[in-house]
Amino acid sequence: MTASPRSKLGASFIARVALMAALALIFSYVEAIIPYSPGVPGIKLGIANIVTVIALYKFGPKDAAAVSIIRIVIAGLLFNGLFGMLYSLAGAIVSLIGMILLKKTDLFSVVGVSMAAGVLHNLGQLLMASALIADLRIFFYFPVLLFSGIAAGIFVGIVSAYVLRVLH
Amino acid sequence: MKQFIRKADIILLIVLLALGLAATVVLARTGAGAPADDMVVIKSGGEIFGRYPLNEDVEIEVPAPSGGENAVTIKGGSVTVSSASCKNQVCVKHGSISKSGESIVCLPNRLIVTIEDKSGGEYDSITS
Repeated sequence: MTASPRSKLGASFIARVALMAALALIFSYVEAIIPYSPGVPGIKLGIANIVTVIALYKFGPKDAAAVSIIRIVIAGLLFNGLFGMLYSLAGAIVSLIGMILLKKTDLFSVVGVSMAAGVLHNLGQLLMASALIADLRIFFYFPVLLFSGIAAGIFVGIVSAYVLRVLH
Repeated sequence: MKQFIRKADIILLIVLLALGLAATVVLARTGAGAPADDMVVIKSGGEIFGRYPLNEDVEIEVPAPSGGENAVTIKGGSVTVSSASCKNQVCVKHGSISKSGESIVCLPNRLIVTIEDKSGGEYDSITS
């Protein structure tokens, strides 16, 4: 993604996405330095996804995808490590597709879409983990990750909904 | 601005919760996702004498190629060599092992007792 004069990406898009990615990265950092351990790997509040949800509703799928992927790659290099990055990327891609589709149906509120995204994110991570470890027994974690995905998604959704209400 | 929480959200929540509960019940019933039991592998004279599940209490007499004998006891998820015909008794004094990868060795009787994963996976562990 270069900012060459012939780039199809507009300057405002690049500036906007860079700003949101930076904000999301700070959320990732805050989450990485908070020392809390829920016992099971993969459970996270995912406050950085607030930015993704807001980007999706305020600016559209392209912005949301760009912010999410940029944030994960940089956070992976800085805090989470290669495996963390791979898990997050798988989760992000699955949840982005899910969010875009659910938003298109126009049946769900921000909270509902975010809740589904939380679950799909964990599902994507689990699929990536089972592919990497080549062992389906990892699906033992599925219920735990599903419930935590619901909780984290609802939290992210509520915060995003409040912010979006102010932005409108 | 749309409603904060809509009917479809509630339906989705109920569907997801039901899915989670169903998955929990299925996993608990079948134990499909439960970590596999470790196996105790006993080698005598360089050859595998037998494999035994770690979670079944059993006592095994293992004859040594030199004519001696070791008794291996599996009890409550840990393994000990309870008696040995050899002089130094190092294997008996070794105490108990319970984690995969651990082993007890009796050199005079050429006995090796190892705990290994049932899956025999090629990785020891993966961290993120």
